[in-house]
Amino acid sequence: MTHLLEMLKEIIKYTGFANITWGHFVMIACGLFFLYLAIKKDYEPLLLVPIGFGIILGNIPFLEGAGLQIGIYEEGSVLNYLYYGVVKGIYPPLIFLGIGAMTDFSALLSNPKLMLLGAAAQMGIFITFITALALGFTQQQAAAIGIIGGADGPTAIFLSSKLAPELIGAIAIAAYSYMALVPVIQPPIIKLLTSKEERLIRMKPPRSVSRLEKILFPIFGLILTTFISPGGLPLLGMLFFGNLLKESGVTKRLAETAARPLIDIVTILLGITVGASTQATTFLTWGSILIFVLGAASFMVATAGGVIFAKVMNLFLSDEDKINPIIGAAGVSAVPDSARVAQMLGAQEDPKNFLLMHAMAPNVAGVIGSAVAAGILLGLLFNTAM
Amino acid sequence: MQEKMIDSMNTAQKTLQDSLAQSKTVENLGFYPGNITFEALLITVLGYVIVFMALVLLYLFIANYAKLLRLKILKNQQSKGEPEAAKPREGEISGEVSAAISLALSLHFAELHDDESKILTIKKTQRAYSPWSSKIYGLRQYPR
Repeated sequence: MTHLLEMLKEIIKYTGFANITWGHFVMIACGLFFLYLAIKKDYEPLLLVPIGFGIILGNIPFLEGAGLQIGIYEEGSVLNYLYYGVVKGIYPPLIFLGIGAMTDFSALLSNPKLMLLGAAAQMGIFITFITALALGFTQQQAAAIGIIGGADGPTAIFLSSKLAPELIGAIAIAAYSYMALVPVIQPPIIKLLTSKEERLIRMKPPRSVSRLEKILFPIFGLILTTFISPGGLPLLGMLFFGNLLKESGVTKRLAETAARPLIDIVTILLGITVGASTQATTFLTWGSILIFVLGAASFMVATAGGVIFAKVMNLFLSDEDKINPIIGAAGVSAVPDSARVAQMLGAQEDPKNFLLMHAMAPNVAGVIGSAVAAGILLGLLFNTAM
Repeated sequence: MQEKMIDSMNTAQKTLQDSLAQSKTVENLGFYPGNITFEALLITVLGYVIVFMALVLLYLFIANYAKLLRLKILKNQQSKGEPEAAKPREGEISGEVSAAISLALSLHFAELHDDESKILTIKKTQRAYSPWSSKIYGLRQYPR
């Protein structure tokens, strides 16, 4: 009888009920909220479903340190192996390969001055960097937090895996949350910074772009950007390589694989492991909450930076070349959601004003810009992180 | 057996230590304006300027190489003579002709439904008996 009781005690010791903390409850509720946003509200379901489920998965309580090899931070567990792709920054470049194979740079090539909007929106990264420093984070941690303002999940994961691996879970969750919440965060800022007349500006239709231009862009784009920012090589290299696969026209099968099955597989693995990395015992700290607040601020500053810069550009442009400042907000990357928000806001003011094509230009420039910024921060701070 | 258990305990302990080391949380959070050193300001300004310059360079490159490519195309057209360039090459169909053929084909296929036979018939089918598909086993038998 006593033996049976001992066994029962042992079994209970290993159950979730015996190991649960209030933190697990909070995180499971977060996971459920993410699933609700994805399924009911349709906010970035391709990202939020894996991440939301991953949060629940990572917060099923168990006896840590018992050598069961089940937790994401336990060496030898399946989740730990999959998480390796996040920690070592393997998944982000693969995602960039898919993004490159999906992206059409025509809008940018037809109106290259919109590239500057993508540069202006990177302001959020650097202002948040300085703010995070003032709040007690180290330079490496501050840089990894600041990159959330680039609104680019893979870039944020890539940089934090190199500079501040201890913050990777919080940063990834914050970056992807704000990417999903683009339709909620951006419109009030855009409306606040623009007048109705500005939002009604109709832009010149983009010119058609030749095939040769499209083929040359990824080749010279890679050379130019990586010579300036070699730290961004894994991201920029894969982005432009994916785009060359698409535009060359002779590697259709490879382009299709990169743009569909490959990016889907990596998104599943990245989403589930990033979600599972939010294990309450390591994730739920004041630092994580502060990262969320700083991430939101970074994103807002980046949006404002793009919009204000578009207004400044308009001061120097002729009437027919004027830019609708709404598209400045698309400079934060978050492809293609922020471009969609620009289209939606423009259509609210004038249903016949189609801004989507124009907004895609700063949107893809933002992807390049945030990867360049990540490369520069990595180059400047990696040695001190070692 | 005992050795194995000790090994697994050691591994577990190492794992826990590793995970704790990995999850070193942020300490001493507060407001420290003194952290904004000259070096930090330099990283901020320099970083932003370099990002801007990289994209400005890309902009200048695209703006100019597009012009160069257009010039080259124009030169080619001029050297060959404009009217000749507009003509389709031998064995090639012009854009207008392709559009007309496409429209005709599209109309033809879209209208297919109207040419369908309007006679509806019910065909008799004969199936070999099988207890698996027998109706009698699938119906409820109510007691009378």
